[in-house]
Amino acid sequence: MELFRLSATEVAFGVRDGRFSAEDVVRSCLSRIESKEPEIHAMLTVTAEAAIARARELDGRRSAGEDLGPLGGVPVILKDNMCTAGVKTTCASRILEEWVPPYDATVVRLLLKAGAVLLGKANMDEFAMGGSTENSAFGVTSNPWALDRVPGGSSGGSAAAVAAGYAPIALGSDTGGSIRQPASFCGVYGLKPTYGRTSRYGLVAFASSLDQIGPFARTAEDVALVMEVLGVHDPMDSTSQPVPPDDFSQALSARDLKGKRIGYLKEVAEYDYDDRMKNALSKAMKACEEAGAEMVEISLGTAIDHGLASYYILAPAEASSNLARFDGVRYGSSSKDPESLMELYLKTRKDGFGDEVKRRILTGTYVLSAGFYDAYYLKAQKVRKVIKQEFAKAFEKVDSIILPPSPTPAFKVGELIDDPIAMYMADVFTIPVNMAGLPGISINVGFSEEGLPLGVQFIAPRWGEKELLSTAAVMESRFGGAKIADGGDL
Amino acid sequence: MSLTFTTVIGLEIHVQLNTRTKLFCGCSTDYIGATPNTNICPLCTGQPGTLPVLNERVVELGVRAGLALGCTINRVTRFDRKNYFYPDLPKAYQISEFYVPLAEKGEVTVTGDDGKPYKVGITRLHLEEDAGKLVHGASDGRIVGSTQSFVDYNRSSVPLAEIVSEPDITSPRMAKEYVATLRQMVRYLGVSDGDMEKGSMRVDANISLKVSDGRWGNRVEVKNMNSLRALERALEFEIRRQGAILSDGGEIHQETRNWDDSAGETSSSRSKEESNDYRYFTEPDLPPLVLSDSYIEDIERDLPELPWEKKARYERDFDLPQDDISVLTEQKDLAEYFEACVKAGASPARASNWIRTEVLRVLNERGGHISEFSLSPAALVELLRMVEGKKLSTTAAKEVFDAMVSREISLKEAIDACGVTAGNLSGDGLASLVQSVLEANGDVVEVIRSCDDKKDKKRKFLQGQVMKEARGQADPREVAKILDIELPR
Repeated sequence: MELFRLSATEVAFGVRDGRFSAEDVVRSCLSRIESKEPEIHAMLTVTAEAAIARARELDGRRSAGEDLGPLGGVPVILKDNMCTAGVKTTCASRILEEWVPPYDATVVRLLLKAGAVLLGKANMDEFAMGGSTENSAFGVTSNPWALDRVPGGSSGGSAAAVAAGYAPIALGSDTGGSIRQPASFCGVYGLKPTYGRTSRYGLVAFASSLDQIGPFARTAEDVALVMEVLGVHDPMDSTSQPVPPDDFSQALSARDLKGKRIGYLKEVAEYDYDDRMKNALSKAMKACEEAGAEMVEISLGTAIDHGLASYYILAPAEASSNLARFDGVRYGSSSKDPESLMELYLKTRKDGFGDEVKRRILTGTYVLSAGFYDAYYLKAQKVRKVIKQEFAKAFEKVDSIILPPSPTPAFKVGELIDDPIAMYMADVFTIPVNMAGLPGISINVGFSEEGLPLGVQFIAPRWGEKELLSTAAVMESRFGGAKIADGGDL
Repeated sequence: MSLTFTTVIGLEIHVQLNTRTKLFCGCSTDYIGATPNTNICPLCTGQPGTLPVLNERVVELGVRAGLALGCTINRVTRFDRKNYFYPDLPKAYQISEFYVPLAEKGEVTVTGDDGKPYKVGITRLHLEEDAGKLVHGASDGRIVGSTQSFVDYNRSSVPLAEIVSEPDITSPRMAKEYVATLRQMVRYLGVSDGDMEKGSMRVDANISLKVSDGRWGNRVEVKNMNSLRALERALEFEIRRQGAILSDGGEIHQETRNWDDSAGETSSSRSKEESNDYRYFTEPDLPPLVLSDSYIEDIERDLPELPWEKKARYERDFDLPQDDISVLTEQKDLAEYFEACVKAGASPARASNWIRTEVLRVLNERGGHISEFSLSPAALVELLRMVEGKKLSTTAAKEVFDAMVSREISLKEAIDACGVTAGNLSGDGLASLVQSVLEANGDVVEVIRSCDDKKDKKRKFLQGQVMKEARGQADPREVAKILDIELPR
């Protein structure tokens, strides 16, 4: 068996037991990347040499009898908005094309401490703004299941990498669906943790109050494994909550959903969206019922009707401020020989940012401006509060909620790129979760007739990751784990 | 009919809070004289992905200052982002407390223009981070004529408290007293060193004039006053300038003006001309700052006696001139030294006198601070007791004092070293000394003998001369006796 096909759990066990070396695993993944990358282009940087050196170091330590940690020898790919000391971190933007961070993000530090091997940095929508990875300044990523289609976004490179077998684990960040939607498009598992569960220190901020780092994997077990490493309090991130680390793996022992109440949304049933996604949802709901869950209709009117509009005020507002630091003074690209300070700012930012980023900076600047703040930003904050309350009420009735991760399966490259509003609308089912700071997981439940992966999303109350992992484990026992995309064209 | 003007002044004071590390990271706050860009880290240079972590000590100092100003401390505050572009601001936003300040609605008592106590309202005290510093390439370090500019981020994220007054101040003198009072307060509290020259206390003034015919002049903001004297002069200048314009029927341009201390005038500031829209919004990277009642009560309990409280107590407890009280209470450490002397048995008047004339003289000469003064209050009191017991003359005691301080020796050692024990010179020795003084001052002796020394002035002069020659070792009563024998009345 080719080692790149193994799950993270299998790799960690195999390396620990000496059945194969970390170097063998890393080499297998690197050659997989090499053979697939020309058609998929999921990676912005592949740190092959460093990965092999790291694997050898781990193998040496293992031979010396050392315990390598829960991810000993496991290859991991990072979305290119997580800082890696000494390795370029571009956010898929021209403005950071050559930027090498002076420090590691907390998640990177935790992964390395747990014995992981970093293979490189994955493509994404520039500064995580987008739902297709087409906004990358360095080229689009293809969906490994259908090369003429997008992998979703903004963590499209990470999702595609796991789907294509580059690594068993990749990290993404989710501000409005950027883990769950690409997981669905690429047929893998993607978890967006509770806001405050994983550290944002070293994640280049898009919208600080919404961003959260989470894993892509091909099994629920692997998601749990990574979360046990990442789900710890970080004093470097003041929004990281000091909750005790959870025994996520324990949640995997669930065999059924007896006694569970799972909510489905009245608003979703009434929503006009893709039949293939509707079928996937029905199929998953049926599986839940068969596993013993009681399905309960609930309503989240504000979340579905106003969540999207509010999000596209709040997220750009925060982004306009977060991205102001890219001014050409200290790091990143800088316009040459400016005549004045103003020209330095204007040219650096005009040449450095892509269209979608500029669109959001402008939107965000507008909604925060004197005279508009109350009507937009403040109103949106109020909506956000109502959404939180709405969820809190819903979770008095149900243990988790099922809904689609996206209104459509993977769409074609170029299909929506000239219609930003349509692109934004694709986030309607994922955004409320970020607005309320809840955990959500996207899992694959099958494929469409033409072979496109179809996912469903489960969401839980704050700190309810274990609930999600139990449900995912039960679903996995019915639908099987995520598959590696081997073909090219379908 | 000639016009008169009423002056309206409000002050915004930035006080650098006295912490070892910066507001949101662990870098040293020591930026004065430090090599540029040495006390920096990814956070205070605004590297992507970094997140602020609030320095708890800053909150404590802010609450302490807020309580001393009689403010209400807000139990729940949030930090906000003030967005604007400038190279010394690495994140392109300053983290500050805009919507809800840490403290608000306080007051400070100063002397009114009528000489009576007058209350200046404190609008708010809020916490914020400092920016870095631009250094321009021109030889005088200014932006004009520079072809290059450099940024030093050592000061970036250093903690500040901004204290905003109500527009209650009615004269440059009062403005000066208000700032001096706040400076003294922050020093008493240990909150800041309050040094205007070094920039750890920066004052911006808003000044406008109301005309007796009912017109109001626009408000002008004046910056760049680096001393109390500069503040007073700048405001006096503005009153003259604005008054002249208004007298001519002109309008005051609402603007920011910079004080040029050497030229003695303000000039329109060329930077930041346009009115900025700072797009304030809540800092999402920091959770709300929630302060419990007990936290605030603990800080309140630990507040030291404030300068104005101390002054009132001195007036009540010690029979001292106002001037002495002001000098003694100016610095907390000096007041503590004084009180220790009194506690050790010195009379308040004598202790005050010695501290003002001798202790402060030595400290001034040496440029030292009372906290580093080698002579303990107990040792000083021991010396004063000898003067009170007539064992040492005042002259001799001053000599002994100098020896104790400069050579850091005990009282006994200093007396031996100076050879000045009172009464050392007496009897025949003293008589012959008197004789030689009389011989050297024949003209004076002549006046006394001719009974022209109406008020014993000349006699006292001779006595003084003898004491001086005796270097304090003679008993003044014995000298008087000998003089009475030599020059019978």
